[in-house]
Order: sequence, then C-alpha cells, then structure tokens
Amino acid sequence: MATLTRQDLNFGQVAADILCEFLEVAIHLILYVREIYPSGIFQKRKKYSVPVQMSCHPELNQYIQDTLHCVKPLIEKNEAEKVVVVIMDKEHHPVERFVFEISPPPLLSIRWKLCIFLICTLLSHVEQLLRAMILKISVCDAVLDNNPPGCTFTVLVHTREAATRNMEKVQVIKDFPWIVADEQDVHMEEAKLIPLKTMTSDILKMQLYVEERTQKT
Amino acid sequence: MDDLYLDNIDEFVNDQNKIVTYKWLSLTLGVHVNTAKQMLYHYLQQKRNESSGTPLHATYLVSGKCVENGSTCHKVSVVREDKLDAVKAKMDVTISVHVYSVQRAELKDSSPLYNTDYEAVKENLKNCNKYSAIRCAAAVPMSSAGLQRAQEMALVPPEEKEISKPGLNENTSATSKSSAKQPAGIMGMFASKNASKSQESSKEVKTEQKDDSSLVETSKSKTASKANPMSNFFGKSAQKKADEKPNKSIKEETDGSSTATAIMKQSQTSPKSKIDIKDEQSKVSSALKVESKDTRKLKMKKNKEIGSPSGQIVPDSPPVPNVQTPSPKKQVKREPVSHQEEISEVKRRKRRRVLKSHTFVDEEGSFVTEKGYVSESYSENEEVPEPNSQAKDSSSLKQSFGKREEEKKVKSQKKTSTANKHTKQPSITGFFQKK
Repeated sequence: MATLTRQDLNFGQVAADILCEFLEVAIHLILYVREIYPSGIFQKRKKYSVPVQMSCHPELNQYIQDTLHCVKPLIEKNEAEKVVVVIMDKEHHPVERFVFEISPPPLLSIRWKLCIFLICTLLSHVEQLLRAMILKISVCDAVLDNNPPGCTFTVLVHTREAATRNMEKVQVIKDFPWIVADEQDVHMEEAKLIPLKTMTSDILKMQLYVEERTQKT
Repeated sequence: MDDLYLDNIDEFVNDQNKIVTYKWLSLTLGVHVNTAKQMLYHYLQQKRNESSGTPLHATYLVSGKCVENGSTCHKVSVVREDKLDAVKAKMDVTISVHVYSVQRAELKDSSPLYNTDYEAVKENLKNCNKYSAIRCAAAVPMSSAGLQRAQEMALVPPEEKEISKPGLNENTSATSKSSAKQPAGIMGMFASKNASKSQESSKEVKTEQKDDSSLVETSKSKTASKANPMSNFFGKSAQKKADEKPNKSIKEETDGSSTATAIMKQSQTSPKSKIDIKDEQSKVSSALKVESKDTRKLKMKKNKEIGSPSGQIVPDSPPVPNVQTPSPKKQVKREPVSHQEEISEVKRRKRRRVLKSHTFVDEEGSFVTEKGYVSESYSENEEVPEPNSQAKDSSSLKQSFGKREEEKKVKSQKKTSTANKHTKQPSITGFFQKK
C-alpha cells in the first residue's frame, strides 16, 4: 500500500489495491463454492481475519493475477464499471454471472480528513464489509441451483472504449491479451437476478449480484 | 418460553439467508447459550415436521471420548448432519451432542461458521462470555500495566518458536504427518477443527495463565503422547495458517490448562527435550542481547568455505537493539541470569574477525601468502583514531553498544594487519583507510 502521509496519499491507488485483493479472494471463493474446480486444489488461507479458500494451482493463480493486474489501472481511474465472473457450461453458454458493480465512492473530497487514526478505523470498517461479502459468497449456493458438470469460467470487464486503448499497453508488457467479449457472453437469455450484497464505504462502493439462467441443463 | 424466537430464527435463516450458530443466536437474542441450543433444536424439529419449504441444513457439535492410535483422547468436533451418526458411532462414550448451527446452504467447509461467530463476538467484545456456560473466577480483564507486560512477553515466544523448530523436529514429525493426512477430504476440515483448537488453546496458555477445572481424561491423553504438548507449544502454533480467534480458546480452556500442567510434568520427566529447549532458548537470549560467539563462528566457517573474500570485514551480526525482554517461562528463569553475566563479561573483551595474511612455504618450496579471516580478541576500549570524522559522529548518535561495535569495524575498515593483541596500533589501521 502507498505510504500514509497526508501529502502523497493517492486515494485512488489505495482503493484499487484493496479492491483488487478482494476480487482475487472473491474469484477463488466463487470457484470453490460453485465447484468449478475440484476442491482438492484449494487450501485454507487467512484474509480479513477469517479463513478463505484459495487455489494452489500455479497456472490458475497466475491467470487470475494477470487478469486483475490488467484491471487495476482501470479501477484506479474509475473506468471499470463492472467486473463479471461468468461461468459457462460445456457449450460455452453462460449459466451464471457473478457481477461486481463498482462505483466511485460517494465522497470524493475525502483527502482533507485523512489522518492516520481515521485511516485505521476506516480500513477496519472496510475489512468488516469485505468480510461480510465473503460470507455472502460462501452461502450463495442456498439461492442458486446446481451447475451442470464440466463448467468453465472467464472474467469480463465492462469499461469505456478509450480505456481499452490504454489497456493495450499493459497487455503487451504482460503478454496477456484481452479481446472484446461476444454478445452471447455478455447477455444471458432467461436470466434471474439474485442480489447478494451491497457495500458502501468511504473508499469503495460495490454491489454483488448473480444473474442465473433459469434452465441450466 | 414463548414461540416468538421461532419466528426470529425463521427470519434469519430463510429470509436473510444467514448462518445461525448457537453462539451468534445467544448474542443476538441475549440468551444463555444453552437456551440458544435448545431454540435451534426446537426450530429444526418444527421445520422438519412440516416437511415443506426450503431444505435446511444443520451442523452438530459432538464431544466424547475415543481411542486414537492406542490412546484415549477427548475429541470435540463439528460435524455435518449426514456424518453425525458415523462420528457418534466412532466414539466410545459420547458426552455431548448439540446443534451447532442451522442454515439453508449446504456448507462445503467450516470457514463461514467461523466467519459468523467472529462477527458476532467482535461486536460484543466486552461481554462476549456473558451468556457463556464456561465460568472462571480468575478471568478478569487485565489492567493496562498487565496488558503492557503481556505484550512484551508476547514478543519473545514467537522468536523462540522459530528457533526451537529444528530442535524438536523429530517430535513434530509424528503430529505433522497426522495433520497432513486429515485435510484430505471435506470431513477432514470438520474433524481437524478439534486438532487446531487444541493447538490454539495451548498457545493461549502462555499469555493467559488460567486456573480451571481440568478434565482428568485430557491430561491423561496428553501425558500419554509425550511429544505432542511440546510440539503443540512450539512447532504447530507457528506453522498454523488459519489463525483462529482467541475467544474460541475460552471454550477449550479445559484442554489448555491441562496441557499446561502436563508440560510442567514433562519438563521433569523428559530430560532430552528439556535440554533441547534450554539450548534453543539460550541461543535465543544470546542472539537477542549480544553478538554471540556461536553466530560469529558460523559466519567464519561460511567465509572460509567461500574462499578469501574481497577485503572487507563483515560485521558479525546485525546490530542488536538494547531491549529489556524478561524471560517468559518458568522453566528457563535460570537462563537470563547466566546470560546477564555473559553480557557484562563480553563488554570488556570481544572477538572480531580480522583479515590476516599468513605467509608460508608450500611443498614446492615457493612462498605462499594466504589471506583469511581469523578471530581475534580485542578490548572494547581500544581507540581507533580515524581520518573519517563522519563515522564518529554517527556512532555518537547510536545508542546500543552493538551498533557501536559495527561502527568500529567499519571505521577500521578494509585490511588490518596482524597485530599484537595487547598493543594498540591505530597507525596501521589508519594506513589502510585511505581508500
């Protein structure tokens, strides 16, 4: 995280760091709870003072990290509208979409009240909210139907066209190309909307809901 | 009692899709934990009888005596409903079974249960055991002075744990193997909760000594497996990844206090492990306070293996801050006393490594000059006048003598010649310092 001095605290960067860390944990947890990968590859780790399941598979981890590394600059500039984890069946039709809607925090003029004490209470509050989101993801299988076997996942980002051009620079360095998503990935027919959790804090505002296809098999 | 609570639980479980653990329920509704357990049980009965609506899942806490690896132990585990009968059958004596939680989701692992309890306890931190069934008259909140002392003490044990790990590896290997097998399946996560709980409780014993009525069975089991309390004390708690809340240890207090008494017995009965511990802790205390001869010797050997390094005297070990750290354990009260004496001795006379060249005639009859690090003792009072006044300024700023020691070496810098130990030879070092 950036050094916490009043002068050079880049709020956008701090918020983007926290959000990307959370998204990494959330994606791993979604993969675990929805049984996209066998549970044997997951291992308990600690985040936000609670145990979470993270995968140990190196390629999977690298894929998720690269994805979020490319998404981070978009979040910093508030250009990422949504980050979506799409779960697709064997025919590559989406069955579930976990949508993380990200909005800029309600109070942008927050710099003036930054002092170390406030930051600590602020971050512990954010930690509490993120913990609640993780709990909600863990119990989401109560409200969702089971997925058919052999599902795969992908990550989509909804952003603006100008931003995609900026992203290309990062992609070339990382050798991790992004492509424009197909219409069929973005829209799902006969979708049910199931809201999971909303959180509002001084540095992040996020909503999580699931779009689920009515007929999965 | 009236039946409003049933509606409350219904709302929590079905409408809000929450996980309702008995602890969370007792803190939310303000009732004793046993009442909460009964409430959950009645709720389950009612819903199951209705046999309509959404399916409910429950987890149970089972505790009883069972025989594992030939020794009896008291096992406490949280199990899913479908495994309940199997686990009960495995136990010799089932002491208690009660509902742990009720939820709509079929949980794949126990993390959400912990998450729920964590939130509930965190909100009610001051009175989290107000409704608890476990009572301890000696458990009162610490005063701020006591809190400071506990924090200082907590600094020392983690370092001891790290260093004692290699010494107790033989003992830990048995327990670590058994715990490695456990996480194989989903049930492993539920069953291993009892193992990690006991580790957490033994860790807690160090910071909070609590008197409690201990179960005789638990102490028997601990004495039976000699190495386990030791390994629990040092090795496992350092290796644990999922750090469970200290409040959970209050529940398992009985286990914790009995391990404490068992460990006291252990230290008298098993001399080998005691010596190990002593060695480790002597290393720790000397490393903390003084640049020890041991570490210096190790570094010397390392340098000799590499060959003659480029001419620079490497400081022996990083500068040691001058911190007063009181001894944490009763067993090793003797150690710091002996080391206090060692420190005062060492202040007067120290050893340092010095690059010396050694000339001799080899087998072919040619002269060979070898440079090597040799340990040389010198008095701390030796003054080394240096053309470099800046180094002196910085040394005056630094507080601990350990740091001063390093400064002197930097000052006396690159090559120093062989010198007669007893005479001060500032001029020769000054000669080499012109770089």
